[in-house]
Amino acid sequence: MPNIELRHLTKKFANFTAVDDLSITIEDGDFITLLGPSGCGKTTTLRQIAGLETPTSGEILIDGKVMFSSTQLVDVPPSQRGVGFLFQNYALWPHMTVWQNIAFGLENLKWPKDKIDARVKELLALLRIEEFPDRYPAELSGGQQQRVAIARTLATNPRILLMDEPLSNLDAKLRMEMRAELKRLHHETGATFVYVTHDQLEAMTLATKICLLKNGMLQQYAPPLEVYARPANTFVADFVGSPSINLVDAVVNSVDGKKVALKMDGYEASMEMREAFKNVEKGKAKIGIRPEYIALGEEGVPAKVLSSLPSGMETIVHLELHARLNLTCVVFGQKDYAVGEELRVSFPTSHCMLFDADGRMCGLGKLTFC
Amino acid sequence: MQRVLYRVRRFFSKPYNVILVAMCVVLAYLTLLPMLSMIRDTVTVHVAETMRLKKPVGSFTWEHWRKVLFDASSLSIFYRPLWNSLVTSLGSCLFALAFGGFFAWLVTRTNMRWKRSLSALFIFPYIMPSWTIALAWYNVFKNTVVGGVPGFFTAVTGLETPNWFAYGAFPIALVTGIHYSPFAYIMIGGILRNMDANLEEAAMMLHASQGRIMRKITIPMVLPAILSTFLLVFSSAMSSFAVPQFLGLPVRYQVLTTQLFRTLNGLNPGQGYCIAMVMILLGVAILAFNQRLTGVRKNYTTITGKSSNISLINLRGLRTPLSVIVLVAVVAVSVLPLVSFAFESILLVPGDYSLHNLTLQFWIGTAEQNSIANSEPGLLRNSSLWFALWNSIRLSVVCSLSAGILGFLAGYAIVRGRGTRLATVVDNLAFFPYLMPSMAFGAIYLSMFSTRNGIIPSLYGTFFLLVLIGTVKYMPFASRSGINAMMQLSTQIEEAGEIIGIGWFKRMRRLVIPIQKASFLSGFLLPFISCMRELSLFVLLVTPNNRVLTTLLFYYNEKGWSQYSNGINLLIVLIVLLINWAVNKATGASIDKGIGG
Repeated sequence: MPNIELRHLTKKFANFTAVDDLSITIEDGDFITLLGPSGCGKTTTLRQIAGLETPTSGEILIDGKVMFSSTQLVDVPPSQRGVGFLFQNYALWPHMTVWQNIAFGLENLKWPKDKIDARVKELLALLRIEEFPDRYPAELSGGQQQRVAIARTLATNPRILLMDEPLSNLDAKLRMEMRAELKRLHHETGATFVYVTHDQLEAMTLATKICLLKNGMLQQYAPPLEVYARPANTFVADFVGSPSINLVDAVVNSVDGKKVALKMDGYEASMEMREAFKNVEKGKAKIGIRPEYIALGEEGVPAKVLSSLPSGMETIVHLELHARLNLTCVVFGQKDYAVGEELRVSFPTSHCMLFDADGRMCGLGKLTFC
Repeated sequence: MQRVLYRVRRFFSKPYNVILVAMCVVLAYLTLLPMLSMIRDTVTVHVAETMRLKKPVGSFTWEHWRKVLFDASSLSIFYRPLWNSLVTSLGSCLFALAFGGFFAWLVTRTNMRWKRSLSALFIFPYIMPSWTIALAWYNVFKNTVVGGVPGFFTAVTGLETPNWFAYGAFPIALVTGIHYSPFAYIMIGGILRNMDANLEEAAMMLHASQGRIMRKITIPMVLPAILSTFLLVFSSAMSSFAVPQFLGLPVRYQVLTTQLFRTLNGLNPGQGYCIAMVMILLGVAILAFNQRLTGVRKNYTTITGKSSNISLINLRGLRTPLSVIVLVAVVAVSVLPLVSFAFESILLVPGDYSLHNLTLQFWIGTAEQNSIANSEPGLLRNSSLWFALWNSIRLSVVCSLSAGILGFLAGYAIVRGRGTRLATVVDNLAFFPYLMPSMAFGAIYLSMFSTRNGIIPSLYGTFFLLVLIGTVKYMPFASRSGINAMMQLSTQIEEAGEIIGIGWFKRMRRLVIPIQKASFLSGFLLPFISCMRELSLFVLLVTPNNRVLTTLLFYYNEKGWSQYSNGINLLIVLIVLLINWAVNKATGASIDKGIGG
C-alpha cells in the first residue's frame, strides 16, 4: 500500500516557485532522502507533507487518505497527519528536562502516568541516553541533544518520520555515528523515513531511494546506486559522487549502430554503447567519466600530473591531457605521484556516460581514444 | 463561494492571523481614529473659540493654522517654542550621548572600579520620573530674582544664582540630558559589549595604535547605534513636558509641549492641535530617518561575537581618581535628588535650611496643626494621598498587565505573520502611539470619549479611560520587546509542539511564555514604571475623583506647597525603585540587563 503520495505539488512564494509540479510516491517502510542544493525546495516539500506549510496547489495523500487537496479544499492540521518531525536545530524545549521533553507529547495525549514512564524509559534505552533524564538540553552535547530530539519525535510512535537535515549541526565523527543509528532505528521501528539533506554522501548511504531536486523540479527519483551509475542528467551526475564526475564537452560526428564517433577537444574518440541508447544526434554532447573509471598506466593517451592528493585508502590525481582537457581520477591503494610526472590514461570500463546537448542521459558505454 | 469560505477558514485557522485582525481593528479605532479626529480638530471651531471666531462650533476654519504659522503672533505662539524645543533637545541629546557614551566605554572597555554598583546607580535617573532631577535642580538652585524663597545653594553660600543658570534652556537641556544618559548608556553599552573584539584585535595585529583603532574601527562601528540613540533621545526630549514646565515657567521659557498644554487647557485648543500635529510630523520624520539609517547599516550594528575576551584598557594611575570622579557624578544625579526631596519635605518654612526649621508635620501632622497649608493634613494622614497612591498603583498594574499581554501577543503575531501586509500594518499601528505627544494624545481622548460615541458611553472621569489610554500609549514598549523576543525564538520550537497536537493556548502557556519569561516580564516592567511616573498623558484626563500621584504632585506644586510636592515626589521615586528592584530580584528582568560590569 502506498504510504505517501504527492500529486502535482506546487508551492509558490511571492515571486518564486519553491516546489514545481512534484509528483512522487513513497512506499511504506521506505527511507527516502530529498536531496539537492540549498534553495531547491526540499525543506519546503517536507514541511508541506507535515502540514507546517500550505501548498499552493496539488494533493498530498497519506495512507490513501487525502491530507491536502487544493481542488477538494482539504487541509488536515499537522497533528492529525500521524507524522513525526525532526527539526534541523532539534527545537528541544530549553525549559524542560530530557524526560519532560520526551513525555510532553504523551501527556498531551492523556496517556496514564505509568504508561508514559514505561514509554520514556524505553525510548531512553533505545537511543542510549538513559543517564540523562533529568538534564536540561543546554547541559547536553550536540549528539545527545539530537538523540533526545529523536526520542521526542518517536515517543508517540508515528508511522512516518520526517527529518529536516537532522545531522547538519554535528561534527564529522558524530555524524557518521548518527547515520548508523538512524539506519538501525529505521530497521527497528519499521516506519517510513523522509529525510532532507544537501549532503550527497548522506543521501547515498542512508536512503533506499533518492529524490533529487533542483529549483523545485524533480530531477531523478531512484535508488542511490542507480542515481550514481545512471544519472538522469548532467546536474544529477555532477551533484552525486565525490570527487565529482569529469564532464567533458564533445561533438558527435557520426552514429553507426551502437558506435558513436566523437571529437573531444582535439582528440578523436569513439564510444561503444552498452545497450540501445536514446536520442543521440550529431552535434554538441557531453561525456561523463567517474574518477574511479580512469586507469593510469602504460596504455592510452599521454597525460601529465598536476597534483596528487593521497589519503591512504585512495589517491586523487588531477591530470592534464591537453591545455583545456583536465581530468580527475581516483587510484585505490597507497600510491603517490610527483607533480609533472608523465603517465598514460585509458578508460577500461563501459561505465562512461553520454549526455545530449541539453544534458540528458543518452546511455552508457566504453570510451576509446583513437 | 465555497472556495472563499475555505480560504477564510484557513486564514483564521492560524492563531496569529486572528490576533492580527483583532489588533488591526482595535488599534485602528484607538490610534488611527484619534489621529484623524485630531486632524479634523485643527480645522474646526471649538467651544472656547466661538466668541472670538464668530462661527458656530464645529464649522470649518483655517484660522488655527494661520495663527500658528503665518500671523504676527506666530513667533511667540509657535516659532519661538519650536526653536526652544529644538535647542534644548539638541543640548540634552549631546549631553546624554557624551555622558552615557563615556560611561558605557568606561564600563565595557576599561578596568574602572565598582562597575556593577555604578552601573546600577547610573540607571536611576532613567527609572525615576524625568522631572525628579528638575525638581531637585529647582530646590537647590532657585533664586529670589523671580520671587519666592531662595534655594539651598543660595541659602548656604549667600550667592544668588543667575537666571540663565537656575531656569530656562540651560537647566532644561542639562536635566533632560541627565535623564536620558542611562538610555544612551544602555544602547551604546550594548553595542560595545556585543561587538566582536576580534575586529579590534585584528587591527591591533596590524600594528594600529590604540587611538587609531578607536578612530578607524570602534567609532565607525558604533556610529549607527550612536546616531540612532541620538534620534531617539532627541524625539523623547522633544516630547518631554514636566521638565520645561518646572524649570521654564518661572522665566516664561516656553517649549512646544508647555505651549501645547497652555493652548489645549486655555482658550485656543485648535492651535494646540496644530502644534501637536507638527510634533507628530517631526516625530514621524525622525523615526523614519532612524529606520532608514538602521535599516541600511543593520548589517554591522547587529554583529555579535564572543566578546568575553575583550582586553580591558588599563587606566593605571588614573584608575582610582577616575573611578571616584564617576562615583561622585553618579551619586550627584542619582542619590542627591532623593536627599533633596526628603530635606525639602521637612522644612517648616521653605528656604530656611537651619536645623530648628525642620519638622515632620507635613508628613504626620493633623489638619489642625497644618494651618499654613490650608489645613491639609500631613501626607501620611492625608486621605487624598492614600487614594492617589492606591489609584496610581491600581492604574499602573492594570495598564502594564494589559499593555504587556497585548504587546506580547502583538509581537508574537507580527513575527509569525512577518512579510504579510497585515503584519506590517499592525506593527506600525502598535508603534504609532509612541509618536503621539502624550499631552496631545490625552487631549484627543478627552474630546473623543467625553461624550457618548456610538455604543461607547461617555468615559470622561472614569478609571477605565485612564486604563485605556495608558494601555495604548505603553503598548509600543511591550510590542517592541515582544517582537525582539519572538525574533530570537525559532518557529521550530512551536512547530515541534504543534505537530504532536498541542493546541495554541497550551503552546503559549507551556512553551513560548516559559521560554520567554524574562522578556515577557520586561514587557510589563517598562509600562509599569512609565505609568507610575506619567504626568502629561493623564494631566488633562483626571478629575478629582480619580487623581493619581503625579497629578496630585502637580496640583500641590501649582499651589506652591513645596513640602507636599517634594514628599510625594520622594514617595513616587521610592515606589518605582522598590518595584524595579523587586521585579529584578524575583525574575532577573531588568532595564539595564546585560550591560552592568
